[in-house]
Amino acid sequence: MRHWLTGTWSVLAKDLQLEFRTRYALNLLLMFVVTSVFVVALGIGRGAVTPGVKAGLLWIVVFFSASIGLGRSFVSEEEAGTSLILRMNVRGSMVYVGKLAFNYLLLLAVDLVATLSFSLLLELDVARAGLLALVLAVGSLGLAGATTLLSAIIARAANRGPLLPVLAFPTLFPLLMTVVPASLAALEGGGAWDAAAGDLRVMIAFAGTVITGSVLLFDYIWED
Amino acid sequence: MSSPTRVGRYRLIRNVILAWMTAVILAAFLIDIPRINILEHTARNLFFHVPMWFTMMSAVLVSAVHSVQYLRRESPLSDIRALQAARVGFAFGVLGLITGIAWAKFTWYVGTDVWWNFDPRQTMAALQLVIYGAYFVLRTAFDDPERRARVSAAYNLFAALTVPFLLYVVPRQLTSLHPGADGNPAFSDITAPEMRLVFYPAVIGFIGLFWILYTQRVRLAAIRLRLAGDAES
Repeated sequence: MRHWLTGTWSVLAKDLQLEFRTRYALNLLLMFVVTSVFVVALGIGRGAVTPGVKAGLLWIVVFFSASIGLGRSFVSEEEAGTSLILRMNVRGSMVYVGKLAFNYLLLLAVDLVATLSFSLLLELDVARAGLLALVLAVGSLGLAGATTLLSAIIARAANRGPLLPVLAFPTLFPLLMTVVPASLAALEGGGAWDAAAGDLRVMIAFAGTVITGSVLLFDYIWED
Repeated sequence: MSSPTRVGRYRLIRNVILAWMTAVILAAFLIDIPRINILEHTARNLFFHVPMWFTMMSAVLVSAVHSVQYLRRESPLSDIRALQAARVGFAFGVLGLITGIAWAKFTWYVGTDVWWNFDPRQTMAALQLVIYGAYFVLRTAFDDPERRARVSAAYNLFAALTVPFLLYVVPRQLTSLHPGADGNPAFSDITAPEMRLVFYPAVIGFIGLFWILYTQRVRLAAIRLRLAGDAES
């Protein structure tokens, strides 16, 4: 167990170190979030937008950011030719969980910036900030779990292209259908925690299932 | 499949299924069914729409089982089976969706402009079709057949993990008009006994039809694999 944690941590630490050197992924993601929130705000115009639409748009921005920004995590290893070194030094599950942790941190930054720019540009009135933060944190865990495995899949493909959204969105439907109503409950207040309890349970179960399944399937994708 | 007795047996089963399906289709259009307001003769769609879905669900199961088999044994034949089951299942799913949309338009949504209305079962079926669409696209992104087989088997199983969540999520947010859902009367309560005499044989016939199409495609792909070294070249 201790050995496994050290291996996982070394994968995460390596990614963090590389990221702090260039800040490529972080800058790319944050620029994507900010520009797409601008696109949403300008596209909607000056009409009144209901909280339900705002919750949906917030998650659409997060989903697209994840499917665009997190796709690089394994592709960059293939491009640099370093995946063989990873394969030799650590087990597949360590690589998956280390990359998942890194992607999750990136996604939390995305959540923060998306929520802030939504409240700035689209007047996002949050009645239950704690609930919204929890929904974003748990929802993003499932999102990161799925996109990490799928980005490992596209890194193995010969024609990568914009494959990740195509692969990811069908598997994320159940997540989208729970995070949006739960976020809406957080925006509207009232008995929000009770209203979101069922959705939160599904989100936790989804994250658990996706991550467990990914750990089991990852070796088949990762090893040659 | 080379020995003459096996070929003969295969042809016999195939011909029985084709004769069976012919009888089912004739009966589906010709038997006398109770005439119910709005439903009228569209009730005959029961003999096509519902068996198509049962067939697609069987195909999804066959495909997933062979994906597991591939990851365990790495036999190219398992990859061929998983792909062909998905392809034939996809075709049945599209047909089931079309017959369902047309049926709903002229019964549930009669007098409105609605064609599509996120009914839970409709949503889940559409999702399974989208997953298979992504699976087919993913397969075309590989050059190396072995890697394609392994990675797409993993994707097939990963996507299958997420589908059961919809069983819980979707009905909470959308109400269903399908029989047996949301307190609607169950299939067995609203279906006339004489219709069941055609419905159950239709289910068997459509699954048999799937079996014919599936085995033929598997054999064709196996021949391609033997001749060209790759089933999809």
